[in-house]
Amino acid sequence: MPFTDIAVAVQISFTYFTIIYLTGLGGLFSERSGIVNIGLEGLMIIGTVTGAFGARFFTDTMELGQPWGPVVGLLFGALCGALFAGVHALATVSFRVDHIVSGVVINLVAVGLARFLSSAFFDGQSTQSDPGGPHLARLDIPGLASLPSGLGRAFQGLSPVVLIAALMVIPVWFALNRLRWGLRLRSCGENPEATRSLGVSVTLYRYQGVMLSGAFAGMSGAFLAAEHIGNWREGQTLGLGFISLAALIISNWSPIRLMFFAWLFGFAFGIPLRPGLTDIWAIRDVPEQFIRMIPYVVTIVAIAGFVGRVRPPAAAGRAYEGGGGP
Amino acid sequence: MSGGVAVTDPPVTARASWFEPLVGQLLALLASLAIAVVFGSALIVAYGESPIEVYSSILDASLGKADGIGYVLAIATPLIFSALAVAVCFKAGMFNIGVEGQYLVAMVTAAWAEIELGFLPGPILVPTVLIAAMLGGMVWAAIPAILKVKTGAHEVVTTIMLNGIAVSLLAWAINFPLKFTDAPPGQNVDLRTDPFPEQGLVGDLGKMFGITPGAHLSWLLFLAIGAAGIVWFLIRRTRLGYDARAVGTSPGSAKAGGVSIGATQLKLFLISGALAGLVGMQQILADRGHLPQNYIVALGFTGIAVAFLGQNNAIGIVFAAILWGILSRGEVALQIQSEVPREFIIILQGILILSVVITYQIAKRRLAARQLQRAGEAGALEDSAGPGDAGSPPGSEPEPEGSKAFQPADEREG
Repeated sequence: MPFTDIAVAVQISFTYFTIIYLTGLGGLFSERSGIVNIGLEGLMIIGTVTGAFGARFFTDTMELGQPWGPVVGLLFGALCGALFAGVHALATVSFRVDHIVSGVVINLVAVGLARFLSSAFFDGQSTQSDPGGPHLARLDIPGLASLPSGLGRAFQGLSPVVLIAALMVIPVWFALNRLRWGLRLRSCGENPEATRSLGVSVTLYRYQGVMLSGAFAGMSGAFLAAEHIGNWREGQTLGLGFISLAALIISNWSPIRLMFFAWLFGFAFGIPLRPGLTDIWAIRDVPEQFIRMIPYVVTIVAIAGFVGRVRPPAAAGRAYEGGGGP
Repeated sequence: MSGGVAVTDPPVTARASWFEPLVGQLLALLASLAIAVVFGSALIVAYGESPIEVYSSILDASLGKADGIGYVLAIATPLIFSALAVAVCFKAGMFNIGVEGQYLVAMVTAAWAEIELGFLPGPILVPTVLIAAMLGGMVWAAIPAILKVKTGAHEVVTTIMLNGIAVSLLAWAINFPLKFTDAPPGQNVDLRTDPFPEQGLVGDLGKMFGITPGAHLSWLLFLAIGAAGIVWFLIRRTRLGYDARAVGTSPGSAKAGGVSIGATQLKLFLISGALAGLVGMQQILADRGHLPQNYIVALGFTGIAVAFLGQNNAIGIVFAAILWGILSRGEVALQIQSEVPREFIIILQGILILSVVITYQIAKRRLAARQLQRAGEAGALEDSAGPGDAGSPPGSEPEPEGSKAFQPADEREG
């Protein structure tokens, strides 16, 4: 069946969609609250090591078994991501350190912290854990999974997290656009001085935004390590945190557009992983390295304003005076 | 250029007050060192070891013997280049987090020069290769610089993207055009370029001081220190450096003073790219002798940390890089004789840099509050005077914090 390769590439793209979308949503909450977060990659790294550990620990050691072990493992990754993002919040919100500086530091520290945690979690192995960790049962999407001529393959054997990530757009959109909480969060990112004058604690909302960002990125990392790969390996995030940032920027900080670009970038990421595909398409002669550049190039083109201009939250990255702190 | 006002000095802080910031920075640095040591000690105690023993074994491994010093300086060499690259941009209010990508591209252009021009004699080949590296870095830095000046695209975002592209570009280069040609048949060799010609490598400096060749100490160290001197001169003693500082401190007044912001930023970014180009040279010309697949990553990001540790001062950066090297080398000591895992060092470096960033920020704000207060006092006397004259001698002791330092929103830095 000629379509099987395409279908498999699409199936892989769903996995990478999940990673990019979850991390991108993380960035969305942080930046909409006014804190630029280029530490997404680092938050994901913490998610990978703690998620891989969590899945094994809660499934085997705590004997939660399926499906609760892997679920709690994912949540553990999210929790650790949120805690680590607390460092970014502390630096940027309370101490008003430059957001970029703090983000860079988060990325740097995460690599070391991950090794440190790994050697504590996995018997002194500092760069990887044993393969074949527990993960959730795979899922076939009813109906779509039985599409003819091999196309159904795209919807078979997916992790349930993929489905959850895709559905996540609904609560996120609702929270941001229909809840008072979301409105306040966004106004912290647009005009913190005005927000404060209404008696809303900008500090509190920004802490929430940044820590949510860590939770999403951590969950994404945990999914990557525990669900997708099956173990922790150093460097397995492969710059996906930065690709998520790219997707977030090019989608203009909107959760709905982010879905599309997360999938598109996930597809660009997935094509080179499917050798059969590169034989049948016109892209046969394009080295995979060039396909991997697509998300970055597209984002540069967009940010330079060649095709429509993207507009970040007005106060994102700006030093905000006021509120407590030294 | 309307009123034709004699624009004399952009409002860089008055010269008399250079002393106060320096003391502030030093105090901030000492405080963060203390924080890191205390946190580190707590961790060491948690592992059931004695902090004094662990710290002294770290110092012994890095500074106790000539070999150790050689390793420390070899680690510091690329970090000096990359921190200088970051600092140069920072002076003009720009954030080059693309040093990472710039040095990857530079390693590719340098490797290409080595292989294509391998017939040249050493004294010509090595400088040519270094120039090729600097050009590679400059090209990669020119993209965000031009985009920033022409379209306003923020350099942080574009350089992050260019870092991602550079990783793939390097992978492509060693997979296709520069892939090694003389692989021994039947052997599974790591992906890399051909070995560079012998005369194209930089010599081992350690021999002269009785340092093991394993440290790969090279005269690139002196090039790095020289570069620090040049950067110091550039920033402090040239027109361009003066313009850059004006643009970095207050773009509005710089523009009013007749400085072309775009041209200044472009020039600074290109200089930064050239410095970034030299980051990878220690690795491929002194250490490996080819461009490998498993090159050392994150030298650019670490450079940002070192630049902060050195507080963006060219001289401070040299010492900061050496301090970073001392800590990194300390891993060896932990590996050999301690319950504490070697990753402890990275945690220590992380805590150090986090606390530097925070304490430096606190120091800067205190200073700004003081200056604002002084400016207020001066302004009360002479209301119409430009802000440039705010550096009048300190009258009274400034009151403690709590002064309402509600600055306008355009105070943004970075």
